[in-house]
Order: sequence, then structure tokens, then C-alpha cells
Amino acid sequence: MVSLKINGKKVKAGEGTTILTAARASGIEIPTLCSNDALAAYGACRLCIVEIVKNGRMVIDTSCTYPVEEGLEVKTNTPRILEARKMIVELHLARTPNVKVIRELADEYGIAESAREMGKDNEYCILCGLCVRACNEVVKAGAINFAGSGIAKVVDSPFGKTAEDCIGCGSCAFVCPTGIIKKNDLASTALCTPEGCDPTGPQREILNWKVEHKLKGCKKCGNPYAPEVHLEKVKREQHLPNEFFDICPSCRQYPVVDAEKCLGCGGCMENCPCGALELEDKGGYDKKAQLYPQNCTACHSCELVCPMQAIS
Amino acid sequence: MKLKRADDLTTVRKEGMRLLAPAGTRITVGMATCGLAKGAGKVYEALKYEIKKQRVRADVVVVGCNGLCYAEPIVEVIRSGRPRVTYGNVGIANVGDLIASLRSGGVLHDLALMRHDRHTAAAGNESLAYAGGKPSKAYTALKEYRRTDFYKHQLKLLSSNAGTISPERIEEYCALGGYRALAAALAAMAPAEVVKEVSLSKLRGRGGAGFPTGLKWQACRQAGGDAKYIVCNGSEGDPEIGMHRSFLESDPHLIIEGMIIAGYAVGASQGFIYVNDRYSVALERLERAIGQAEGLGLLGRHILGSDFSFTVKVKRGGGAYVCGEETALLNALEGSFGEPRPRPPYPAEKGLFGKPTVVNNLETLATVPAIVLKGGKWFAGIGTPASTGTKIIALTGNVARRCWVEVPLGMGIKDIIDIFGKGAAQGKKIKAFQAGGPSGGVLPAKLLRMKLDYNQLSRAGSLLGSGGLLVMDEDTDMLDMARFFTDFFADESCGKCSTCREGCKRLQEILAGIGEGQGTQEHITLIKRLDAAMAVASACALGKTAAVPIMSVLRHFPGEIEGRLVRKKG
Repeated sequence: MVSLKINGKKVKAGEGTTILTAARASGIEIPTLCSNDALAAYGACRLCIVEIVKNGRMVIDTSCTYPVEEGLEVKTNTPRILEARKMIVELHLARTPNVKVIRELADEYGIAESAREMGKDNEYCILCGLCVRACNEVVKAGAINFAGSGIAKVVDSPFGKTAEDCIGCGSCAFVCPTGIIKKNDLASTALCTPEGCDPTGPQREILNWKVEHKLKGCKKCGNPYAPEVHLEKVKREQHLPNEFFDICPSCRQYPVVDAEKCLGCGGCMENCPCGALELEDKGGYDKKAQLYPQNCTACHSCELVCPMQAIS
Repeated sequence: MKLKRADDLTTVRKEGMRLLAPAGTRITVGMATCGLAKGAGKVYEALKYEIKKQRVRADVVVVGCNGLCYAEPIVEVIRSGRPRVTYGNVGIANVGDLIASLRSGGVLHDLALMRHDRHTAAAGNESLAYAGGKPSKAYTALKEYRRTDFYKHQLKLLSSNAGTISPERIEEYCALGGYRALAAALAAMAPAEVVKEVSLSKLRGRGGAGFPTGLKWQACRQAGGDAKYIVCNGSEGDPEIGMHRSFLESDPHLIIEGMIIAGYAVGASQGFIYVNDRYSVALERLERAIGQAEGLGLLGRHILGSDFSFTVKVKRGGGAYVCGEETALLNALEGSFGEPRPRPPYPAEKGLFGKPTVVNNLETLATVPAIVLKGGKWFAGIGTPASTGTKIIALTGNVARRCWVEVPLGMGIKDIIDIFGKGAAQGKKIKAFQAGGPSGGVLPAKLLRMKLDYNQLSRAGSLLGSGGLLVMDEDTDMLDMARFFTDFFADESCGKCSTCREGCKRLQEILAGIGEGQGTQEHITLIKRLDAAMAVASACALGKTAAVPIMSVLRHFPGEIEGRLVRKKG
């Protein structure tokens, strides 16, 4: 643990965390558009700039990328920071005047519109890179990335053509703060030619990456629930039983631990890919497996490894 | 043949001496890009053809740039026992006469620029005597090169080999003291002593920021870990400047030697040189030089019989300006986007592939052998107390003579322009100049009396940078100038930071508007606000200084902008 001061308040934070995390943990809000706890810090939007005094020298840097250090003195809203932040909001507003998060941010800073002398665009992407990082760091599909540089920078599929490596998981659309990534699930589609129409079944399209993915239906309820390529990738990487992929999350049966039979060996806990099982102390040497349903994907890996058939 | 001991270098040196001061005739052609652009390639072919035709025995050698770029193509003739003669502006039409003058034993006075009685390698103590005794009358009519204005005021610590040795022959580099510093360091100095000498020299990075090199090395040396890297930043992105290119084309071994010593000092075993892919001649010569060094065992395992091993690889980059920023360069080396990384952690702790890395400019590394040979104290005595050593300057723009020179730091900028560049072209007046590339902004002629010094330039809102000196004459439109550099920044920005990307775009629009007569005082206020935000909130120096060109014009030439403003309507 290191201790630092943020806006005069003494704050303790774990080594390796950033100033932004430390500030938020102690209830100090710093605006950001491009940070997400699940993704590596990037520092694109520049909104989270703060003044950092280290060894008597002041620097201005982004709090999302700056690691905490013993004795740092951080100020998050000096006049200089606020002035710069206002300009950053104006620059965003000039680029993406119709994006809701940007409009809200502008309202918060009392900006009705960007300076009149400034040119205006009507973009929707704020180039925060959340989709790119989610696709590359978490999903590890590497389907999309930045293209071009400088003022011509965009997020795109390779060469602007169909993103061959996209698995249609929709993480990009999920993290996008502007809603410009258009992911549509179509219940029934058909390939139509002059000779007639050929139904192709339910599909998911992500217009931005020019992809269409066939959706797999649930064996129980019949509803389409995930792209087939997505499920294949998970199958390859997670070593889950084949039956797992037949049923949609809402129809899956979540395992139940029979405390009578459980030995407390911890085999299920070690095998759980999602960390949904833990060993609970029941007093003395007695330990029992405990399921946390919010993390469980009902893959039943635990059921397969339990030596006592205590999980069903 | 692999060299096992430092003494083995002597054989290589002897061979090099035989090539540099031959018993017969040696004709050199300056074939760096500056020469090639002016037809040195054709001159080279013509020379080869003509010596065959006129039955003259001579070794025609490719050399680099000696700095006299305005007089290219440059041909030099070295004949046993006579002074070396430099000829400038040699065309293929003159080649026949030149060879004929060799037969008659004279000098072709129409083209001759100067003579060299002896050549001294500044760092290595080696010298090369061409003429024994008093030269004949034909030669004394020419000025000895050390008495010419062009050489008298230069101090060639790094560039003394350039234009003299062939960049394609390691023997010639060794003959003039090459790899002597490496041998000395490996044999008699502990790595910590090398770092100490570099710290003592007060050498500051030649890339732009001017960070003390000794501190950087110390930090990397102290960083833990099994693997460390040396990265040579040879990606120069400044428009119109080709210093790194000239250096690599003229004397690639000096950089390799500097890198090996740096590796020894910080405990790295691998080095990367990042070079602009468009520098085809430089890349070819550099790769050949690395091959030759490997062949002699100066690179590879157990260098000169010591326990130290080091390899160097060339990495080609796209020549982006932002890749001069060290963390962007590391990203590019790793194969990803040339975007700056957040700092801290600094590369000295966590650099290339997450390992401690020293990223040094090419010129910084080229300075290292001289410091090792002659000591940090000696180096600290050159230049000014705060800015030690010499700096290679590429003088360009509206000067009468564009050239490539090496001067001690602390020299007056006006002197540099007057002595080497002979003032503005066509007798015009100098209006402004730019030091340190686009990030340096433009400075008015009244600041010409400033000295070439890290601190003086930074106080004036400019920087020493990589050493480009761009001169603008009275016909220059400062708004055009600001627009040119703002467009440059907009193109070269990586686009990661919102401030830099959007800010550059808006600055471009505003300047275009002012040019079209639509600018108002409010636009100027907006420029100032943009500058303030970009300067504090951008991640790297590119974004922080992207508004400097226009801000410097507003500061030093306010009339040129305000004169074009109109009253706000309504």
C-alpha cells in the first residue's frame, strides 16, 4: 500500500493501481471516456488529466495511466485543469455534437456548444478505443483496430472490408459509449434471388465491421442466443462439455451443491473457469463448496470433477 | 577472420591505411543522398569508364558526405606523396579533364576547392599524412582545408570520417581510430566506469528533449532483469532534414561502435537501430557495415575475446515524426502502432518488450566512442557548461549554401548561417529561422545573435532538437509557414490524444480561414485556448508542441496575422 494525497485528502491505494482508481475508491470523481476497469489504460480522451506533484515538481498527466506512488500530491480540479478540460470537452463536442455522453458531459461543464469559431463535424465515434481494446485484450479476436493516423484516424475492420476474425460476440457494441456500433440480431433472414427466397435462419449482423453471423438456437427454448463462430471459439479455448453449447444461458440448469456429500476437497473450485465456486469454512476442519450463481455460466465442469457426485 | 584480441585490430588498421593513403591513386566520390541527387552516381560511372579509357590506374571509391552539400557532386583525388584535392560541382563533362590532369600530374583548377595536407581524426588521435614536405606550386595555389572558413570553424568529433572513409569498408573506419574505443572499454573499463565517464561528459540527448544521457544509462544499468536492450533512434521525421541519413550513409560503423559500448555499459546484449525505410542507401550501407562487424567478431559472441556479447539488428520504420518519441518508437519496434505509451514507467525500467531499454538518438550514440577514448572531462570542456560537446547541424532553407556541419555548442546561430551558409540566398535579408524542427516554432531574425545552446533556445520557446537549422528569407509569408507546419503536425499526429488530433484539425481550419480573409480576433483567442489545452493535456511532445508554430508566429510576427483579420460580423 502506498499513501498519497488527492485534493488534500489522504488516500491509501494498492501498489500498481492508478491515480484514477485510487481517487474513485475514495469518492473523488474524475471524468473519463476511455477507461474501463477490464481493459488496459490507454489515455486517449485526456479528460482525466490531473496535476501531480512529485518531489516538488508538478506535472500534468492523465490519472488513468499514472501509477500511484508514495507521497504524490494530486489535484483534480485546479483552475488550469478545469480550463483545459473544458477545451477538451469542446473539442469532443465539435467532433461529435450528437452523441449523448458528450452532450451530458458538456452540460456538466456548462458548455452549450463548442466555440463558434471552431469547425463542426457530425461524427459519432469518439476514438476512445474501448471496442478495439475489448476485441484485442479480452475477446482476443483481433478483428478490428485503428486505421489511419492523425486527423484521419478511424476504427475499422481490416482494409474496411469484412472483418474475417470477428466472432460476433458484440463486446465492441457493449463497451461503446456512443452507441455507434450497430449490432442487430435478426430473427429470420433469407437470401433472395429472382428465383425465390431461401431462408437462412436467425442471424446477427454488425454493420460497422460488415459481418453477418449465423445464430445458434437453444435446444430447449428454441430461441437464437449466440453466433456459432463465437461458441466454436469458446469451445476451443475453454474445454467445456459439448452439451454446454446446446442450451442458452436462460435455460441452463445451475448446479446445486449437496452439502451432505461434499468433502470440501476444492476440486470443483480449481476447475471452475469462472470462479463461481469457493470453499466456505463451516467451523473446525469442515469446509464445504459454495456456489455463487452470479458468476456461474452453468457449464457443469464442477459436476464432472466432483469425486462424490455432490454437485448436480 | 574473427578478432580475438584488441591487438588484432592492428592488422585491420594497416589494411585500412593502405586503402586510405595508397601507393597509387585513390579517387573518391561523395555518394551520400545529397551527392546522388546531384548526379554523383553518373560521375562515379564516368570516372570508372574514363580511367579505363585513359589507362590510369586508380581506385575509385564511394564515400559519404563531407558536408559541402552545396558543391555536390564532390570528387577527391589522393595521390601518393601529394596533397589530397577536393573538387566540387563535378559533372560528367569534367571527368575526362579530371583524369587527364592526373596523367599530366597537375590539378584541375577550375573545379578544385581545397587541398588537404593531412587528415586528422578528431577522436582517435590517428592522422593521415598525404603530402611529404612542401607541396608543389600547383597545390599551394589551393587553400589548405583547415584554413578554409568551412572547416576552420567546425569541430569534427563525430563527423571527421564522413567523406573521407568509405562507408562500405570497415578497414578504413578502423584505420582512423575506429573500434579503438570499444577495445579500450572492454579491456580496461568496468561498465560502471563507462557510465561514469558519460555522466561526467554531461552529454545530453541529441534527439530533442536534451535529457542527460548518463542519467538514462544509470537508470537502465540499475534496473533489474536478465534482458536489456539498446535502441538507436534513427527515425528522423523533421521535414527537409537528413542528418541521420547523411550519417548512416557516411560513417555507419561509428553508430554501431557507440551502440556496442552502450550495451556494455548498461548490460544489454541486443541492440536495434530504427531507421526510416525510405533511406534506402543508408539502410544498405548500415546492413553491410553490421555484416562486416559481425565478420570480424566485433559484433556477436565474446567480442574481442571478452565475456561481452552483443548483436545489432536493423528495424525499418515508416519515418513517422511521432516515432521520434521514444515510447512510440518502442511500440513501432514491437510491431504495433507508433503511438506513445504512458510514462511512467520509463523505458529505462520497462521498455522494449517490457525490458529495461535505453533509447538514444543516433547522434548521441555516435558521440560515445569519443567520450570513452578521451574521457568525460575532456568532452565537458567543449561547448558551454550547460551544453557540452558538438552538434551536427543541417543548414537548410533560404541560405546561399546548404550544408552539413559539426560545430561546438555555444556557437552563435548567426555565425553558423553566415560562415557556412554564406547568408541568405540571392543576397536577400533573413527574416526568420527555425531550430529544432517543427516543434521549435519560428524565431525572428533579431534572435539570430542567440547561441546554439539547450537552455538559450528553450528560453526563447524553441529547442535544439535534432539540429536542423531552417532559414527563411524576407519573401517568406509567416502565415503560410505556420500553415505548413500545422498541416505537418496534423498529418504526423498519431491521432491517439483527443487534444492533439482534434486540436490540430481545428488549428488547420482556423489558419485556412485566416488565409481566406475570414479570421477574426475571436479566432486568435481560440488559437490561444487550444494551445493552452494541447500543451498541458497531450501525451507526448508532438501534441504538446503542435500549436507552437502558430503561437510563435503570433508572438514574433503578430502583424502578419492580425493584418489579415476582419471585424467580426454582427
